[in-house]
Amino acid sequence: MSSPSSELAERSVRLPEGVALHARPAGMLVRAAAAFAAEVHVSANGRRANAKSILDVLALGAEGGTELRIDASGEDAAAAAEHLVLLVPELA
Amino acid sequence: MSDRNGHVGLILVSHSAKLAEGLADLLSQVAGPTVPIVTAAGAVDGSLGTNGGAVLEAMQRAAADGGAVVLVDLGSSILAVRAALAELSDEELARVALADAPLVEGGMSAAVAASTGCTLEEAVRAAEEARVVAKL
Repeated sequence: MSSPSSELAERSVRLPEGVALHARPAGMLVRAAAAFAAEVHVSANGRRANAKSILDVLALGAEGGTELRIDASGEDAAAAAEHLVLLVPELA
Repeated sequence: MSDRNGHVGLILVSHSAKLAEGLADLLSQVAGPTVPIVTAAGAVDGSLGTNGGAVLEAMQRAAADGGAVVLVDLGSSILAVRAALAELSDEELARVALADAPLVEGGMSAAVAASTGCTLEEAVRAAEEARVVAKL
């Protein structure tokens, strides 16, 4: 669906070593994603999760150092992906 | 509708005060300080059981604030919640809703949704999503 206002964005970012996507960091990621209108997904270990669903994100089982693939679609997709790419390295 | 004051909160209803308090600690750490999470758990004397009065009081307080999703463990907790809901005014009923969801995963999902500033309906939906999202 490509209306003039829709965007697609794909970025990669690595979880810090020693920081798995456990409940607290996953909550931060979900809160950040929820602030955008875009649909945002995060992939790791061959699975793709809705970045706005804590349970989905937790089920990725992403360990520290894992490469996360972020894909977003919608009017603020680029901003959403950019925001998450900046956030993930700061997770602790 | 969560426009009165603050965020939608959670009311955890369980037979065990320890279970509910431990879960409240966990959810608070993930959702942050903006989401009110209260427990109505254990019998009046502190033993295992349910306390309808405590459930009703928690609901009335939440209704006067940002509203709340109610999560229950099982069995007579559900009966206690239904009995308390029957005591609420229509206005209060619009601000308190029982979620058909597992306590831990439903609570986690609702608490994080509430921390984003969502509506009561969205928080209930987030809790009930826990029934279909695979754990592993």
